[in-house]
Amino acid sequence: MAETKVIMPQMGESIFEGTLTKWLKKPGDKVERDEALFEISTDKVDSEIPSPVAGILQEVLVKEGQTVQINTVVAIIGDGSSAPSAKAAPEKSEPAAEKPQDAPAPKASAPAPAPPAPAAPTAEETGGRPTSPLVRRIAKEHGIDLATLAGKGTGIEGRVTKNDILKVVETGGAKKPAAPAPSPIAFSGEVERVPMTAMRKSIAEHMMASRGTSAHVTTFFEVDCSRIVAGREKLKAEFEHSGVKLTITPFFVQAAVRALRKFPIVNASIDGDSIVYKRDINVGIAVSLDGGLIVPVVKNAAEKNLLGLAHAINDLGERARTKKLSPDEVKDGTFTITNPGIYGALTGTPIINQPQVAIMGMGGIKKRAVVIDDAIAIRSMIVLSLSFDHRLIDGAVADQFMADIQKQLENWQG
Amino acid sequence: MALTTYVEAIRQGIAEEMERDDNVFVLGEDVGIYGGAFKVTTGLMEKFGETRVIDTPISESAIVGAAIGAAMMGLRPIAEMQFADFISCAFDQITNFAAKCRYRWGAGIPIVVRAPSGGGIHGGPFHSQNPEMHFVHTPGLKVVCPSTAYDAKGLLKAAIRDPDPVIYFEHKYLYRRIKEELPSDDFIVPIGKAALRRAGSDMSIITYGAMVYVALDAAKELEKDGIDVEVLDLRSLLPFDREAVLETVKKTNKVILLHEDTRTGGFAGELAALISEEAFDYLDGPIRRITAPDTPVPFSPPMEEFFLPKISDVLRVARELRAY
Amino acid sequence: MNAKTVDPHSLAMAQRPALPPRETQLKILYYMKVVRELENRIERKLYRQGKIVGGVYVGRGQEAIAVGSCIDLRSDDVVCPSHRDMGAFLIRGMSLRTILAQYMGKKTGATKGKDSNMHMGSLEHNLIAFISMLGDNVPVAAGIGLSFKMRGQDRVVVCSFGDGATSRGDWHEGLNMASVLKCPVIFICNNNQYAYSTPLERQMAVENVADRAPAYGMPGEIVDGNDVLAVWDASRRAIERARGGHGPSLVECKTFRMTGHSAHDDAGYVPAELFEYWETRDPIRRLERTLVQQNMLSDAGIAEMQQGIHTEIDEAIAIAEQDPYPEPEDCLRDVYFEKE
Repeated sequence: MAETKVIMPQMGESIFEGTLTKWLKKPGDKVERDEALFEISTDKVDSEIPSPVAGILQEVLVKEGQTVQINTVVAIIGDGSSAPSAKAAPEKSEPAAEKPQDAPAPKASAPAPAPPAPAAPTAEETGGRPTSPLVRRIAKEHGIDLATLAGKGTGIEGRVTKNDILKVVETGGAKKPAAPAPSPIAFSGEVERVPMTAMRKSIAEHMMASRGTSAHVTTFFEVDCSRIVAGREKLKAEFEHSGVKLTITPFFVQAAVRALRKFPIVNASIDGDSIVYKRDINVGIAVSLDGGLIVPVVKNAAEKNLLGLAHAINDLGERARTKKLSPDEVKDGTFTITNPGIYGALTGTPIINQPQVAIMGMGGIKKRAVVIDDAIAIRSMIVLSLSFDHRLIDGAVADQFMADIQKQLENWQG
Repeated sequence: MALTTYVEAIRQGIAEEMERDDNVFVLGEDVGIYGGAFKVTTGLMEKFGETRVIDTPISESAIVGAAIGAAMMGLRPIAEMQFADFISCAFDQITNFAAKCRYRWGAGIPIVVRAPSGGGIHGGPFHSQNPEMHFVHTPGLKVVCPSTAYDAKGLLKAAIRDPDPVIYFEHKYLYRRIKEELPSDDFIVPIGKAALRRAGSDMSIITYGAMVYVALDAAKELEKDGIDVEVLDLRSLLPFDREAVLETVKKTNKVILLHEDTRTGGFAGELAALISEEAFDYLDGPIRRITAPDTPVPFSPPMEEFFLPKISDVLRVARELRAY
Repeated sequence: MNAKTVDPHSLAMAQRPALPPRETQLKILYYMKVVRELENRIERKLYRQGKIVGGVYVGRGQEAIAVGSCIDLRSDDVVCPSHRDMGAFLIRGMSLRTILAQYMGKKTGATKGKDSNMHMGSLEHNLIAFISMLGDNVPVAAGIGLSFKMRGQDRVVVCSFGDGATSRGDWHEGLNMASVLKCPVIFICNNNQYAYSTPLERQMAVENVADRAPAYGMPGEIVDGNDVLAVWDASRRAIERARGGHGPSLVECKTFRMTGHSAHDDAGYVPAELFEYWETRDPIRRLERTLVQQNMLSDAGIAEMQQGIHTEIDEAIAIAEQDPYPEPEDCLRDVYFEKE
């Protein structure tokens, strides 16, 4: 028979302790179920307490005259086979009253501070009024530095209002992400030796290896993005509703994926004398990090629609920047897209990401005067570059591949 | 169909439901022979008989208690409080009996308690109150406040058909001032859904009851200032349309909360907390409230006019918010 | 105290009260004994063993009232009991296990842990759960009776309350409403002479609760609440009256509360002589003596009945003790109608 703990009962809703006034049995006595075992006294009532089980009263843990909290174990009833435990002090169960317990070591830090708010410009920075949450959010989403607008808004005391910030967004002001300022070097002599980080070493090796492996050639295409820029405007709100911020990148990824379906050789790799065609199209998107870069991969990009691609790209990019990618997410790419245009470059000649055979570079999108039907029109233009491995891909194929992408983008309908 | 007033719409709602379902009946003070203090139930006793339109003693607690008992047995009582102010006499039956039966022992109490509420009729402290918050604060109840004749009829039908207790606040100021064409077929307005009365882009006024008209009139004025105001009529307070509230705030980014009820503990506080919790990043200005002050409803006209929120209040606050 | 009528206008009836058949008397004894044993276990054992959650209110010494008034109701009649009417719950079909689980706060209790002790109800058993605001059940009972009248049904509703509840506004409003609308209600007052620590003379200015009946235009009758056969008879007549469409009546059962207000109250404010006096008038022993004298039951039969009751209760306690507690999130369920 297991041991039964007999507790000090709660005789009344506001009662939290009781005094054990008299034991009616002593250790070693046999006791029947419901037989009177001890007497108690509380603020409200004196009472005889019956035993919850039949057995032998093994151990008495609370003395006559002692006051204990409700639910304290006052005795143990067993089958008489086990000796009383060596414990002298009464065993306490959860006390009902708010008594300071042996406090667990107080946490080293104060209760976790709320996650730091996104760098909120102070009243100083913005001139007079702190910016509203809405304005801060819009500014953050578009990479606009609020300090540059400080105090120049149309609201009270020069507050930057919703309309003010939206105007800035529309006119394409300050859209470039602030380039991280390079940290100054502290010179202790004529030269300063600093060991490379692991990422830097890895990039250096990979770049040299790639140059040494592939026969790099780069081709350039100028593409009219007006349709997709308009398309993005149209779909922005709808995607926002699904919680996805729509940038221009997914349009290019989608066009590339469709072209890769038509030109599987661009999605392949070389193994000795064999061409290894890949069934799945896994597109890597190069993400610039502090002191390096990383290429998370959108797996099975061909199975995703525009919303799906946008979501995946945002998610991977976010996690790349916050270092939350899993190893699985940076391997098995079959094609890579990089963005040399992000800091304003016209175009670039990217190095192929081994063991792939091609990499596409996106220049900056700029409004330019172009000739259409013998008239001059203003269009959003981009220069796309494709570096390809001439061991496997000939210029004609590369150009046809890019021409297909150009056609898709210039005829985009949704 | 001819233009139907708000009060006529309520009467139609009751009559049609009594026609549709034999279990529906009316009880309250002066509802039968007299047709109700506001003549809402005129003609019903003649049509449906004394058994189903019951004149009771002055016993709000027993009126609601009896309604509860009848509802337990499968009837669908509509209990009338002659003025919403008297609902406090039945507070215990409503909040401790009706509201908690389903929770405690699975017994639904499908009663409707109709309560003519609101001021602007020189009624003084005991004939003008808006006591909705005592009941919004009681889980287990539903609370509705229609502002149009269509909603008055549709929400009353929804309330009668609802399996839980519904407190139906009909605004007495609107009884004969509001009329519109109503569809001839059966229709209900779902409880818990707001209605957009006016679409706008610069700021939102969220309101209910008679104040809907104050908001709409103010919106017309504000057009001249180039301020485009959106007006959302909550229609139901418990449950209320969270999505509609958040949607309008996300759209216009500036919001005014307007109600005739007094300020502290009024519904605007509840909405302001929700908006701050869930739409903080969409606010381009502080959340503003326009309410009656924290006093009993005064009687003499200059004081009552001061007390009730009016168009000039809305204009002033809207212009301040616009300039922010 | 003899059964005496206060209102000379009540239905003319036999001067000698009728008696129920033997079978009914045995049922009556059984239920009273179950109530006594169940409440003893709950208040004097389980509660003191820490197995009960919250408060305990028993009707020791008052068993005759709920049992006598409810035993012959039809299943489609309705009962609105109060907190010392355990007999009503059992007669209407609530199981021992459900009641014990209720007291223990278990998921299998009558309210699934949502409410405590005697706050039990079941529409299926036509048993209405009262609330702590005593007297609130009176207008509700009037409404239930009103529904029968409206539908032309000959069902009745028995509504029980103590002496203390009759001071509340709702009690008066409810009696008035039931009377004006002529609802088929039997109002049973369980006058045990104490409301917590408040004796009758501090509760009301009239001598009897039944003195109020004429004020509401209904017959009132006073009976010995510890004579279960007298309670049975007075209830029978009131039920007949209601069923016949003659409206409500008030039956005041004089008895005594043989316990504290609740399990934690030792009723030290009650003069010991009162307990001694009323102990001699124990309703269960009285009926047992009568049955034995009338050769309707032997001492052995009584002992056998008692033993059977012990076993029933032991079994129910064993099951209830093993029953689970509700899930914490169950707190959020059933505030409103939930579609399956």
